[in-house]
Amino acid sequence: MYEGVVVLNEKDRELAIKTIMERGGDGVLRCIQCGACQSTCPMAFADFTLNPRKLIRLIQLGFLEEMIEDSSTWACQACNRCVEICPRNVKPFEIVFAYRRYQAMELAFSTSAVQSQMNLYMKGHAVFSEAYKETRQKVGLPPETPTAVSYPEALKEIQTLIENSPIMELGLF
Amino acid sequence: MKTMGLFLGCNIPLKLPDIEQSFRKALPELGIDLVDLEGASCCPSWGTLPSFDLPTWLAVSARNITLAEAKDVDVVTGCNSCFGILAETKHIIEHDEEYRKAVQEKLALINREYKGTSQVYHVLHALYKFVGPEKINEKIKYTLKQLTIAIQVGCHALWPSKVMAIKEPNPFFPTILKELCEALEADVPHYSRIEACCGMGGMRSTNMEKSLGLLKEKLISIKEEIDADMIVVGCSSCYLQMDGGQKILRDRGEIDFEIPVFYYTQLLALCMGFDPKQVAAINEIPREEIIARIQSEERLKEKQEG
Ligand code: SF4
Ligand code: SF4
Repeated sequence: MYEGVVVLNEKDRELAIKTIMERGGDGVLRCIQCGACQSTCPMAFADFTLNPRKLIRLIQLGFLEEMIEDSSTWACQACNRCVEICPRNVKPFEIVFAYRRYQAMELAFSTSAVQSQMNLYMKGHAVFSEAYKETRQKVGLPPETPTAVSYPEALKEIQTLIENSPIMELGLF
Repeated sequence: MKTMGLFLGCNIPLKLPDIEQSFRKALPELGIDLVDLEGASCCPSWGTLPSFDLPTWLAVSARNITLAEAKDVDVVTGCNSCFGILAETKHIIEHDEEYRKAVQEKLALINREYKGTSQVYHVLHALYKFVGPEKINEKIKYTLKQLTIAIQVGCHALWPSKVMAIKEPNPFFPTILKELCEALEADVPHYSRIEACCGMGGMRSTNMEKSLGLLKEKLISIKEEIDADMIVVGCSSCYLQMDGGQKILRDRGEIDFEIPVFYYTQLLALCMGFDPKQVAAINEIPREEIIARIQSEERLKEKQEG
């Protein structure tokens, strides 16, 4: 299919690309490994084992499971510098997140991600602190926020959306 | 007068409500009336639904946008993650038929429909577009003459520019926050790490040391290159990192200086004369001294203008 390209294992390659495309990373085949994304990526500056260029290459070669325990993708800042700069409209950020989604649904994520999911489901807020009412009053605001945590019917809507999603298969809640 | 729907998110109303107060005090006086979006949830942030399931992310975000649509207002938010998430959601739903269909199906479960009638603005973008530097300068009581500001815009207000209603001419050399600070009459010089990431977000929860490494490099660039009197951020997450992370580095002896940090609207509200106990009260790196200098007799604009 790709003349002149050495394909390690066609079946692995197809599965890796399909997995990423289905989860939002539809530009994966357009990458020419120019390295522009890596040159501007905070993950790369901070020296994580994976950066968008590397991850994309590994996926193109058919490696999917091999990196599942690598937490680099969870350090992606979703900053989109890579999307801005990529000359091939690969949208590398979307591939990093597509890989994350693959990891997440295989339960390869850290406990901190579980806590914020729980908070979102229970309170409507990923970041939550019990002391908020006091803090608000100190700066002269009413203790209650006008947000989901103060509106049970809003919370119900959010829970309905989450309950009707594949996330429920993970058994987090 | 423009009316906008204030989307609060999580960090601002629950951890940094002094920033919320600064919006509520400063914006109406500048001609932007704020209405609450009752029942708004987490945007949802990058580490939650966006990391698990794309259509569910879009549906929860779209629900938040429908709250503004119901009130016939545009959304304004001060949290960069919220801004990035909501602007990205709007872009995807409006450009991809498949996802739009998936979102509408999910929203139907809660009797809602995404219409696309509300625009999403970052508070800096709203100030820049609907008020403008000139009018801001007219409204301030105290000026920041001869004070140096290091700006930190925050990633999601810069990239990807394709999802934003208001665009920087070049997001790698941001100018909107610079002009807004210059409207307070401060000096806002360039420094080499001006567009660099502060290290907050997913990186901080994944690897604290690497995250603080990026912060340290940025702070040293600010100190050595422009010796700023303060850092002014356009993102509540950057605020937590530049202030709280700076404290960690200072306590460890990894840096030997302290630079006070403000969210832009906090500084704006102080320059307009609002009470620091309400608009700038939650911090790790001390701000009392710089606040006293800002709200001092000799900085009164009318006096300077004679
Ligand atoms: S910038 Fe685009 S084409 Fe270049 S390596 Fe990154 S993803 Fe591939
Ligand atoms: S979005 Fe993620 S992969 Fe892209 S530049 Fe930012 S940190 Fe790197």
